[in-house]
Amino acid sequence: MSNTLLSIQGLTRRFGGLLAVSDVSATIAKGELVGLIGPNGAGKTTLFNLITGFTPPSDGTVTFDGQDVTGRKPWQIARMGMGRTFQNLRVFPNMTVFDNVSVGAVGAFGQSPWRALVNGGAHSRAVSERSWEALERVGLTAQAGDIAANLSYGKRKYLEIARALATSPRLLILDEPAAGLNDTETAELADFIRRLHAGGVTVLLVEHDMGLVMGSCSRVIVLASGRKIADGTPEAVQRDPAVLEAYLGVEDDAA
Amino acid sequence: MVFDVFFLQQVINGLSIGCVYALMAIGFTLIFGVLNVVNFAHGEVYTIGAFVGLMVITALAPPLLAVVPLVLAVGAVSGVGLERIAFRPFRRFTDEASQKSRAMREATLLSSLAVSIVTREIMMHIFGGDMQGIPSGYLLQQPVAIGPIMVASGSLVIFATSAVMLGALQFLLYRTQTGLGIRAVSNNQLGARYVGINTDRTIVTTFAVGSMLGATAGILVGLYDGAISPHMGFAPGVKAFVAMVMGGLSSIPGAVACALLLGVSESIATEFLSSGWKDLITYSLLVITLVFFPQGLFGHGRERA
Amino acid sequence: MDVNVPDARLMPATLAPPAAFSGRGRRFAWTLLLLAVAFGAVPAAIVGTGSSYLAQIAITTMIFVILSASLNHVTGTAGLLSIGHAAFYGIGAYAAALLSTKLGLPFIVTLPAAGLIAALFGFLVALPTMRLVSIYFAVATLGIGEMIYVILLNWVDFTRGPMGIRGIPPIELFGWQADTLLSRYLAVAVIAVACVWVLHRLTHSYYGNALRALREDDQCADSMGINVERLKIESFVVATFFAGIAGALLAHTSAYIAPDNFRFMESILILAMVVVGGLGSLPGAVVGALFMIVLPEALRDIGDYRMIAVGATMFLSILLLPKGMLAEGTALGFVRRSFSRGWATIAGGTPVGWK
Repeated sequence: MSNTLLSIQGLTRRFGGLLAVSDVSATIAKGELVGLIGPNGAGKTTLFNLITGFTPPSDGTVTFDGQDVTGRKPWQIARMGMGRTFQNLRVFPNMTVFDNVSVGAVGAFGQSPWRALVNGGAHSRAVSERSWEALERVGLTAQAGDIAANLSYGKRKYLEIARALATSPRLLILDEPAAGLNDTETAELADFIRRLHAGGVTVLLVEHDMGLVMGSCSRVIVLASGRKIADGTPEAVQRDPAVLEAYLGVEDDAA
Repeated sequence: MVFDVFFLQQVINGLSIGCVYALMAIGFTLIFGVLNVVNFAHGEVYTIGAFVGLMVITALAPPLLAVVPLVLAVGAVSGVGLERIAFRPFRRFTDEASQKSRAMREATLLSSLAVSIVTREIMMHIFGGDMQGIPSGYLLQQPVAIGPIMVASGSLVIFATSAVMLGALQFLLYRTQTGLGIRAVSNNQLGARYVGINTDRTIVTTFAVGSMLGATAGILVGLYDGAISPHMGFAPGVKAFVAMVMGGLSSIPGAVACALLLGVSESIATEFLSSGWKDLITYSLLVITLVFFPQGLFGHGRERA
Repeated sequence: MDVNVPDARLMPATLAPPAAFSGRGRRFAWTLLLLAVAFGAVPAAIVGTGSSYLAQIAITTMIFVILSASLNHVTGTAGLLSIGHAAFYGIGAYAAALLSTKLGLPFIVTLPAAGLIAALFGFLVALPTMRLVSIYFAVATLGIGEMIYVILLNWVDFTRGPMGIRGIPPIELFGWQADTLLSRYLAVAVIAVACVWVLHRLTHSYYGNALRALREDDQCADSMGINVERLKIESFVVATFFAGIAGALLAHTSAYIAPDNFRFMESILILAMVVVGGLGSLPGAVVGALFMIVLPEALRDIGDYRMIAVGATMFLSILLLPKGMLAEGTALGFVRRSFSRGWATIAGGTPVGWK
């Protein structure tokens, strides 16, 4: 069990009378590339927010790297090594690409104002180098000095990933990274995520689109109507009648 | 007697002050609704309303009821002019960085402030900085007895005018095509544009309507208080702004309720505090409200408010 | 859309690590120029003309440089729109005035005390208001600013109310008294430069980047591991501290303060300096203060039309340069390059990062 990085137990969230997430339990081991899929309205985003601390659960626990993080604030969870991207692209628009990424590194290395005043050389160098490395990994070094709002849509996705990488995540959660990309771009992204994973990052891929997940992940968790209905290899999940029903029963454009 | 008569009179005075704040607060709320920007020059529209009213009265000595439509017209014109000068030029920046830039948003805020400074200084120049008296024939200070309570006729006029204007506004917003446009743009400017609403024209209309209410408030207060000055718009402007925020930014009933609350609490406060301290009541109410209701009393968590 | 995704472990040669930053020469050039103006040209002009009017403007400018730079820290960089800054300026001024006239404390004590007392008030204000967003926060600062003004005006026993406080002793350090115009200016200038330097170090660093991230999208900064609430409170406390310092300087240089020095319009004037100069830009805040103080004085000859001209100029400046005279992006590049605060330059000569 010491190999478990993230473990959620009986996670439940009610909004008024609506049960958005109901009794979901799952684990992710170090080094895994796991997909979390489900049709629209399945509760993926809520589950995501519960894990990252944006929404407190009504019931259940989140354990990250052996520590109970239920009810902690997002920044505390982020500092423990959970990096994330946003579905609806939230780069800092008026900051440069490099400065965007550096915020992730500051999150990881600490934000004391005293370091800015006295003796902060080592800290700044560490942040600078970490940010540069992250930009190298996504291939955006040439744009390092550009204002983020001027980047193309596709490049902003990679900027978000770089910013998350700069926090040195032990678990990287990508929220619908393929949204808004065409087939070629999705294929490139899938390739990139696989290489990221091969480089040693544990990834949880939250996706609406099955194609990307089935092609890349070693294990897939399926959510429907707030419940976990399947958890297994892509092949097993694809054959699971409950999954087929969830996807075909709902009028949805999911592939 | 169950009620202290004097206390009741104070409440009525407070309600009439509150109505004035409410008329201004509605203007703030309407304009904030469509543009998401605070109109700092709203207080100057109020002052303009009062001065134009005075000018008309001294020059033509018309019947009181004829002053009102004139002030309304002046309010509408100044609202349209204000929008043209202080707000429209900033809508030329449509790229994403500008839209999300705080510098740009604060620039719009200060452009209306700059326009208000210029307007006020010009009025100072024309009318002088001192208080100007209203001809006594037009004053609304005759006491009217309602049972045991004595109420100034001005209070009654303010109540009646506010009621009529609120009714008219309600009709405009919920029964007309223009009102539908205003509500649509407030709700989602981009969406409104996609369904074919001329957002520029709607914004201008909103300024006209809001400024008509503000200008009317100005002349009412002038007639009620008996004296006006180029600085008169500042204090009620701030109070109305506070009422709008306490009410939750986008809620007209909320703004009106909070404006009345502020008026009444100020008026009652003068009973047991010297008048210098009465503003402390207003602002304490504001701060306490915000601490416990971070979105205002009637707000519903508007994004990027 | 082309998205190039090079393999992390097969880094192509074209993306070599950036060259280390070398800008020491220019750094000295700019620093020396600024110091020469503040401590050479202006004092020379004051001595040369012997004009108390000129000295007074120079002192006022320096005080407003501190105010505008500190407001820029919280409103421009961290994105918390404060429209009650003058109240903390007032708290500092009254703290210094009362401590020196009632308790006879020397300047060396009253100056930091004024800053700390203002910062303490800032902290107390920040605690409950930090969860307010944008305009709600702005209105809360307005309300608190007006409350402080009402208290200064009406608590006659403590503040002497509208009469104000007279006879505040001039700046004095270990027996040296700043009693001439020149020495008064110099003392204020030294402190102003020190304040701006501290704000410069805070803003032009990765700490500053965290503040800017807060302004751009605080939820997102939160999930990057930034303690958003703490950062907001810190930035507000820093800004109010320097406002308090500015207040103490006003008290000790003008010998007389009254509540009207700290009204709402004063807060708006400071905000106008920041916006005209460039929200988020520290050099802009300095230039904005200079502009908004010197312009009305330069326009004295047109007498009554002066304020109209000031308003009109402010309007035109915002209209033509809505991001300010020195917009943030330009200013950050300028500071990286000319004050050698950048970490490295990338291909094309663009400086990135902070030292």
